[in-house]
Amino acid sequence: MVSTELLSQSIINGLLLGGIYVTVGVGFALVFGVLEIIDFAVGEYVMLGAFTGAIVAPMVGGEGLLVVPLAFVAFFLVGVVIQPFIHHVTTGDRPMPLLMGLVFTFGLATFMRGSILTIFGPNTRNVPTNALSGGIEIGGLGTFPEVRVVTAVVGVLSLVAFMYYLYRTTGGTAIRAIAEDRDIARLMGVNINRYQSIAYGVYAGLTATGGVFIGLIYSAGPGMGLQYTAFAFFMIVLAGLGYLPGIIISGIVLGLAQSLTAVYLGGELVFFVLFGMIYVLLLVRPEGLLGKGEVA
Amino acid sequence: MGTENDLTVRDRFQALLGRDDAHLWLFGIGAVVLAVLPFALSTFWTRIALGALMWIGLAQSWNMIGGYAGYLDFGHGAYFGVGAFVTGIVMVELELPFVAGLLIAGVFCAVLAYVVGVPTLRLSGAYFAIATWAFAEAIKELALILEITGGTYGMTFPTGPGTSGIPLVGWPDEMFFYYLMMVLTLGTIALAYFLFEHSEFGFRVKAIRDHEDAAQSLGIDATKIKRRVYVISCVIAALFGGANAYYITFIHPNDVLAPIITDQMIIMALLGGLGTIGGPIIGGVLIFLLNRLSSLFLGNTTIYLPLIGLLIMVTVLFAPSGVIGILRGEVGREDVKQNLRELAEKFDIL
Repeated sequence: MVSTELLSQSIINGLLLGGIYVTVGVGFALVFGVLEIIDFAVGEYVMLGAFTGAIVAPMVGGEGLLVVPLAFVAFFLVGVVIQPFIHHVTTGDRPMPLLMGLVFTFGLATFMRGSILTIFGPNTRNVPTNALSGGIEIGGLGTFPEVRVVTAVVGVLSLVAFMYYLYRTTGGTAIRAIAEDRDIARLMGVNINRYQSIAYGVYAGLTATGGVFIGLIYSAGPGMGLQYTAFAFFMIVLAGLGYLPGIIISGIVLGLAQSLTAVYLGGELVFFVLFGMIYVLLLVRPEGLLGKGEVA
Repeated sequence: MGTENDLTVRDRFQALLGRDDAHLWLFGIGAVVLAVLPFALSTFWTRIALGALMWIGLAQSWNMIGGYAGYLDFGHGAYFGVGAFVTGIVMVELELPFVAGLLIAGVFCAVLAYVVGVPTLRLSGAYFAIATWAFAEAIKELALILEITGGTYGMTFPTGPGTSGIPLVGWPDEMFFYYLMMVLTLGTIALAYFLFEHSEFGFRVKAIRDHEDAAQSLGIDATKIKRRVYVISCVIAALFGGANAYYITFIHPNDVLAPIITDQMIIMALLGGLGTIGGPIIGGVLIFLLNRLSSLFLGNTTIYLPLIGLLIMVTVLFAPSGVIGILRGEVGREDVKQNLRELAEKFDIL
């Protein structure tokens, strides 16, 4: 293969991957803004989404794509129910409320991972699909698996829908108001409980949907969550904590970095570089590379 | 019958703790009981006891930085693993005895914790938590890549007579490791007591936890104090890491650097009671027994994970001051009810 073709192939593959990472990242960043906690369970929602795909798809004629809307609705509801717990833990007169919230999501993540491991065993499973088995030729740059292209398209579409909701509707305005100042939003008559639950539900739904697609591209395994937690952390640290639009850039950077390191550096270095970058970035530029996040 | 009985037990407990020399007495009695314990136990239970001792010490080491200083270290297990590997490298590559390896591991991790602590402790809250978490994961990946740690093959320790470097110890057996862990754990508890409960230093640390800016405005050098607590707690984790590695004789990055090591330290300290001496002791014993017994009786090692996750969530929700808080009467039935009511209010989402 000509090396320029390999390069363009990996760049496009990276861009396509980035599309789905962005959907995971925006919800995550929104929840950080609204609940002021880092959700350690983010990767486990990806894992649960992928597992839902692997378990439910065979029941609906072996078509993973049909699981996508179902996963969104199911995990939206799960998120709506989980949010009050997190809200409760981070408020009130308990000592170190924010740290308690952090530990709580940490426990939640352990619970989710452990449950799936116990119930379904350590094996990875495929998320089957019939509709997306071919490849798409893109203007002389190479052929790309349909599933990746559709994933990226859905990723971008859900991002647009999400942004529309957040910036063009009353509910979205309420959520942004809470993210800016919870107490003042309450004084303005915003139902904090409802909109925080909706925000967390949308985040859980989006992340699980992303998980179904990630399952379609790779596979579903109980241990996969940790990697995506790391990815989500990487994205918000790169974008600057709490800065939503930065996620689009950092998600694409992540997709590109992953596909390029895998091709040119070798797989075993990917995680060392990734975790090392999260650590160094937090120390050097806690406001994010774009300089618009909050500083601790 | 319940309430009255509970009250008397609680009162007695409080009366006991109310005495000035109560802690010394408790510590002394505990030390004597622990010293004679292995003579009453079978090899199997001696192993369980030495494991419990190790986890009490580890939970206490996490409690120093997480509970007393209020800095949630999600990468504390990194030092447990680094301590294990440095001890191993000294014993395998330099062919020095275990004692030398352990000392060098302690010194190495002190330097490492100092160097890592200077920039990392500038962060706070969630930022500190993510940074330490990423640091620990990076260390694990590094250990998998490096040649000197054995990479993905792991590392085997030398065993047999003479490898311990301690006179009169022949082939290191359960008894040796039991007393090793006992000394380390009792030392950790005594150190934690004198540093945090019996000195001005402890007040400074707690002041930083409760309000760092206010503490600083009162002339407390928060940076220096946090760094000291961090270095001490990390060195302790490293010593346990080295001792445990020599005990189990084979270490792999995916075992001694696994995130579950940190998870366990956190939940033990949290369940027992953050920022207390007794908390990690109670939490350490309970969680370690849960871990051992669940794999023993349920024959299933993974069920322990969801159980621990659930326990973390319930503790944070209803008893944030842990078992110690319940014993001290901070968390009673009324508080749980109040908690449930407030939680129910937050479900008002329609």
